[in-house]
Amino acid sequence: MIVQTAPATPPPTLSPVPTINRRRRKPSLHRTLSRVLISLIVIVQVYPLAWLFLTSLRTEQDFATGDPFALPGSLTWENYARAFETGDLGRNILNSFIVTMGANVVIVLFGMMAAYAIQVLGFRLSKFVRGLFLIGIIVPVQIALVPLFIDYSAVNLLDTYQSMIIPLAGFALPMSVYLFSSFFEYIPRETYEAASLDGAGPYRIFGLITLPLSLNTVVTVVLVNSIFIWNDFIFANTFVLSEELKTIPLGLQNYIGAMGKVDWTATFAAVCVTITPLLLVFLVLNKAMIQGLESGATKG
Amino acid sequence: MLPNRSKTSVLVFLLPPLLLYCAAVLFPILQSLFLSFFSWNGISDMEFIGFENYVRMLTADDIFWRSFANALIYLAICLVLQLGGALVVASLLTSLRRGRELIKTLYLLPAVISTVAIAFLFVRIYSIDPVGLLNQLLHWVGLGTFERAWLSDVNTVLAAVSAPEGWRFTGLYMLIIYAALIAVPKELEEAAVLDGASQWTLFTKIRFPYIRPVWITTTIMATTYGLRGFDIPYLMTSGGPGQSSELLTTYMYKTAFTSTDFGYASTVSVFIVIECLAAVGLILFMLKRKADS
Repeated sequence: MIVQTAPATPPPTLSPVPTINRRRRKPSLHRTLSRVLISLIVIVQVYPLAWLFLTSLRTEQDFATGDPFALPGSLTWENYARAFETGDLGRNILNSFIVTMGANVVIVLFGMMAAYAIQVLGFRLSKFVRGLFLIGIIVPVQIALVPLFIDYSAVNLLDTYQSMIIPLAGFALPMSVYLFSSFFEYIPRETYEAASLDGAGPYRIFGLITLPLSLNTVVTVVLVNSIFIWNDFIFANTFVLSEELKTIPLGLQNYIGAMGKVDWTATFAAVCVTITPLLLVFLVLNKAMIQGLESGATKG
Repeated sequence: MLPNRSKTSVLVFLLPPLLLYCAAVLFPILQSLFLSFFSWNGISDMEFIGFENYVRMLTADDIFWRSFANALIYLAICLVLQLGGALVVASLLTSLRRGRELIKTLYLLPAVISTVAIAFLFVRIYSIDPVGLLNQLLHWVGLGTFERAWLSDVNTVLAAVSAPEGWRFTGLYMLIIYAALIAVPKELEEAAVLDGASQWTLFTKIRFPYIRPVWITTTIMATTYGLRGFDIPYLMTSGGPGQSSELLTTYMYKTAFTSTDFGYASTVSVFIVIECLAAVGLILFMLKRKADS
């Protein structure tokens, strides 16, 4: 399904007319070479995923005895049925949705508020606060695990949705603040001045001007953060113990049986089910997402 | 500044985000620093021991140094795969006329997939019984002698757990570098080509210097992400066999949550933070000197 990118090798070019110097031929050779190379790299990059999907459709027997590169002898959806029986996939997906939505709401709202205060309202220590947020981009998330574990157990927050949402939102906030403030820079001063003359205060300006104008940035922030939150393993693994709250990354671990014995075909079916929602969003919105990742990196 | 804003309005907008950020990020950093001076297992009373944890970490803990060395090798492999791979693909992509969007999308796919799924996938790719993709491939191309259980062999396990992390994010860095490459002014390139510059000179003398700022950003991103790598090694081997794929992060995690030695684990996390800050400083310093010379 994915390997179609290999370009057809161009038909052999006519033997070069002697008067044309080599420089004219070079780019086309260069281009052919780079096409071949790029197809090879893309295949290496994507093949494991295609293989993952194909394996999820193989019968167990076929999988255990067969050549891993071979196409499945017969297709079966049985692995998917078994995947739903083995784990609590529906529950995991719902939990991932709740955590992703919850964290995104916090990240967007708080990120926008902080950026509004720093960039639009302005105050004496705004440079300092901006610097504080920079720390969160450099510092690795692991540093928060032990302290948060201790604090959560002190205030009974372990094993709740909040225990995942708070650190996920906290560590994503810096990037969101930066994206929003660099966007707010482009809203012309005159807009605010005109609104002020009409008697709008900072709250109405935020609600009626800044917020509606930043919808594009909201989409970017949500898309980029959703990838990381949906896939978060470390916070969920540390702060959540009960089955009912497990998100997808944790739920997948249930497929490893005792003694590390793994039902591979069912596991791969489960993996396919769980990566599908994000993959669909990604494929539909990949332009916006790609743009978001690019601008997130160059501005951070 | 808005004409009629008030102090209260600044606080209304600033306080909630700042409080959350402090609770989740800033306060835990300080708390780690504080805890690193104590001996504490989470249950008994905390005991102040000064710099004892640091002395133990730096002078008496072989596993710590082993993990540190492993983390550096892990970082090196990730950087080569991510930045090297990204640069190669991005520059190849610029010479392509059609299908760029498709390739960008395909190339970014692995970045969308959870680390747990990737860990499962690569455990299977490396496995020898039933034979996985890698061993089968070696067998086919006649390198059968290299077939092995990649994850149980102490010589290969570190490289084997680093590769998936590199594989996963190459697409992300490629995107960023590609965006920078297509922003290089066409006139510059054309002028160089007219002067007879080869593709190689074109790349080293014009394109690469032009994208230097973006290159610095991506290097910093890849380095800090590489240094905090955790999920994939933890899930694939949990640092084993022995300590041969132990990273500082997995060591810290196990010290905290398996041995419940919170004080010592905090000492290791403080070291990880210092390591990240030092790495960023070092990169900026080196790149700045190179630019000056």
